[in-house]
Amino acid sequence: MTTVQDAVAAPPRAVGILRRPKANRGFVSWITTVDHKKIGILYVVTALVFFVLAGVEALLLRLQLFQPNGTVLTAGQYNQLFTMHGTTMVFLVGMPIAVGLGNYFLPLQIGARDVAFPRINMFGYWVVLFGGIFMYSSFFLGGAPDGGWFGYTPLTSAPLDSGFLPGRGPDFWTVGLILLGIGSTTSAINFIVTCINMRCPGMSLLRMPVFTWMMLVIAFLTLFAIPPVTVALIMVFFDRNFGTLFFDPAAGGDPLLYQHLFWIFGHPEVYILILPGMGIVSETLPVFSRKPLFGYAIVVFSGIAIGFLGWGVWAHHMFVTGLGPVAISAFGLATMLIAIPTGVKIFNWLGTVWGGSIRLTTSMLFSLGFIAMFTLGGLSGVMHSVVPADTQQTDTYFVVAHFHYVLFGGLIFAVFGGFYYWYPKVFGRMLDERLGKINFWTLFIGFNLTFAPMHLLGLWGMPRRTYRYDNDLGWETLNQLVTVGSFVIAFSVLVFVVNAVVSKSRGAIAGNDPWDGRTLEWTIPSPPPEYNFAEVPEVHSRDDFWHQKYTEDDEGRLVALPSGGSDDHADDGHDGHGIHLPSPSYYPLITALGLPILGYAAVFTNPWLGVLGGVVLLFGLFAWAIEPAD
Amino acid sequence: MSEGTVKTLEEEMSAVAHAEMGGVLKPAPGLLPGEIDSHPTPFKYVMIFLILVVVTAVEVATSYLEGDISSGLIVALLLFWALVKFVLVAMYYMHLKTDQPMFTRFFVLGAVAACVLYTIMLTTLHVF
Amino acid sequence: MTTIEQTDAPATQVDDAPPTDPTPSHGAGGDHGGHGSSATLTNGKLAMWLFLASDCLFFGAFISAYLLYRGRPQTGPTPTELFDIPFTSATSFILLMSSLGMVLALAAIQRGDHRRFRLWLLATAIFGATFIAGQIYEFTHFAREGLHLDTNLFGSTFFVLTGFHGAHVCLGILWLVSLWGMSMQGRLGTDKAESVEIAGLYWHFVDVVWIVIFTVIYLMPQPGT
Repeated sequence: MTTVQDAVAAPPRAVGILRRPKANRGFVSWITTVDHKKIGILYVVTALVFFVLAGVEALLLRLQLFQPNGTVLTAGQYNQLFTMHGTTMVFLVGMPIAVGLGNYFLPLQIGARDVAFPRINMFGYWVVLFGGIFMYSSFFLGGAPDGGWFGYTPLTSAPLDSGFLPGRGPDFWTVGLILLGIGSTTSAINFIVTCINMRCPGMSLLRMPVFTWMMLVIAFLTLFAIPPVTVALIMVFFDRNFGTLFFDPAAGGDPLLYQHLFWIFGHPEVYILILPGMGIVSETLPVFSRKPLFGYAIVVFSGIAIGFLGWGVWAHHMFVTGLGPVAISAFGLATMLIAIPTGVKIFNWLGTVWGGSIRLTTSMLFSLGFIAMFTLGGLSGVMHSVVPADTQQTDTYFVVAHFHYVLFGGLIFAVFGGFYYWYPKVFGRMLDERLGKINFWTLFIGFNLTFAPMHLLGLWGMPRRTYRYDNDLGWETLNQLVTVGSFVIAFSVLVFVVNAVVSKSRGAIAGNDPWDGRTLEWTIPSPPPEYNFAEVPEVHSRDDFWHQKYTEDDEGRLVALPSGGSDDHADDGHDGHGIHLPSPSYYPLITALGLPILGYAAVFTNPWLGVLGGVVLLFGLFAWAIEPAD
Repeated sequence: MSEGTVKTLEEEMSAVAHAEMGGVLKPAPGLLPGEIDSHPTPFKYVMIFLILVVVTAVEVATSYLEGDISSGLIVALLLFWALVKFVLVAMYYMHLKTDQPMFTRFFVLGAVAACVLYTIMLTTLHVF
Repeated sequence: MTTIEQTDAPATQVDDAPPTDPTPSHGAGGDHGGHGSSATLTNGKLAMWLFLASDCLFFGAFISAYLLYRGRPQTGPTPTELFDIPFTSATSFILLMSSLGMVLALAAIQRGDHRRFRLWLLATAIFGATFIAGQIYEFTHFAREGLHLDTNLFGSTFFVLTGFHGAHVCLGILWLVSLWGMSMQGRLGTDKAESVEIAGLYWHFVDVVWIVIFTVIYLMPQPGT
């Protein structure tokens, strides 16, 4: 391409160190791509693989707990599995799935051709993949992390030779999460700059789709939540490996410092996890009710309010640590307050569906299921906010029930709804609706069978994170139900995978706008061309595409406009000629490769690996910096 | 608008490419991209530097007054002077004063969040 | 013919955008969309400011840990015994000088004076390196007096906080030297001034963090006095 740098003397050799990859198809194109759509697919597929891995971990846990004094797993194995289950689900499934869907659809929804920093975008993906592989390699290198997904000190921070958590597991955990945090931070910055700077003409902030809005909110949450936990993890690593005394009570250190720093991250983290799901259903419910979102501005501002208030409640994870009456009252009250904007959104979703012309597609079923299941999870959450009650519930299965209802019944249901909604756009084919219904109903049944009994088990006193229970406590029957339910979930996920794989080649052709959608991604072909929009759109209202297709008559009924509809849009054989896109690059991959090497250097305190990792990282960065942007 | 005419590269270059090239584009006359007012002159930079040096000297002198005036007063004065230096560097050296307000808002958001969150944390841990 | 200050929608800006439209005060996308916003040109700057905002939380956490543990009963050397305020004042002054060098370097490249630019850039890096030398001297002096990472809470919190600050400075020096090298190779034209500004933002932030550290860790009255 011609460089536009006439104002400056041409650089002596306008090429990077490696020859610029040019592949458009095939394996190389996937590993050197900077296209947000390919990156989105990579994120989602990777997240789904980790979802299956974490699911298998859960199934093993449930087999162990099927009967009292189970012998399927040892205590040590159990600890590793529940630690990795939680860590994987939060960091390698929940966050990447949102970033993946956001990657694919945020630029489309704002009428952009890509994100602000395409190569950094790809870098972020590699960090997630390598970080995940790094953490899972621990199973083969001395044992996986076993200190819980939250890693409380001083258990995890006690020095290596203290005998508390021998082996490298906790170090894989701290270092792995630090690495993943780097990736998340780069993605967050990318999304914020994209939303602020790259909206198409007419796309004011309050015309952006709610999904985009929620991604913007969580980008800020991510940006500010990752540093505190990074510091906490660094402190744990240093205590364990270099003898620092941050959490050593004998030296005057305070393990609660860790908990504060962790939960200052951890609570916003759960909103980082759920808000994208809320964004997804705010897209699907209007489409499948053929009604605009009820109270768009309120839904957006409630999302912002949740993001904001979410910073003020973290110590509700610490109610039983002896904070004192003033602190727990303040945090308890703040926790109750956050139910308000959440409830507002729920009523707005109900208001959207009410009186609509409803199509019970699989996506809609999942979205409706989200509302119901998330509400249940929210109710148990409100129960937690009552401090005396929480004192009984803490560290029991009641908490496990709560967060699985909001994260599984909430986020995962919403994500599946998003899959059924957006799969046609990504792959040009519809997912099979019959398999979809089977998927939904088995997941709904399996999910409730698994997690509903946990409320009772928790109130009956069954503790979390414990590898076995005794046989005269009366917990056996419900535990068996839970285990059966978990296998029903597994079956449902299998149905989905089959559906996704088979439909890719055999599904009905989708066309641009199979659902009669409202937002900009439905104006372009399925799958979209590399340049997204033949011409950058100009919008004049919220749900602009809908208003191009329909107007309302005097009685408020929809009237189709002849000139609207994406099939009329002048793609007209436009092959993107003349649209230039950023070129692929090797350097995000190479640079990212430096990080796990540095990670191994840290875990095994090996200076040579450190040098190697540093060299790879710096080489990648330098070569990247001198590579022309496009 | 577009039937048939081949767009110039500039017209078709994606926003992304523009952005990543650091803006080889014509900004408003006299102002650089992102500015709402022109950057300080070198003279002004040197003036600010001199103020920073003086304030640092005042800070150090204040710290030596330990024992002569109350600790609380010293803390307040030191925090005040540190804030003055922080603001001067941010506004003039980092151009917050002459750039789009968006930069200031986001940075202040982070700085304030840090102060508020960690103050709450330290209070809960009985430092204050 | 499109002028190119708006980049989020080149294809549709043909008629609208007056070429001399200055950056609208409502930044990107006011009420009628991103039209007319040259905010797009500042993707890199915006990204750096967002990163710096997050870095406030990073350093804030370490500073908080220091404050939490300050004054707790402990054995081993204490700040009062070890701190050499005149020395640290001198190194702080040097870091301030480096910030001056940075803005003068930026001013030079913005007006196309590449010689001066490289001079001031190198000066900045040298001042930064001098600061680091001072830090190394201080660390080794403290260590000889018996303060290590694992000696007491003071050792742990002090060394990790100032150590990470020093690491940030070192990365900055590396960045500046790289820019200097690129300029020598002719790869850093006046059109790339923004990338120098972005490096400058990082550098000044690191200086600002030191302003806070110097005040809170070194100058604040020690507890019990």
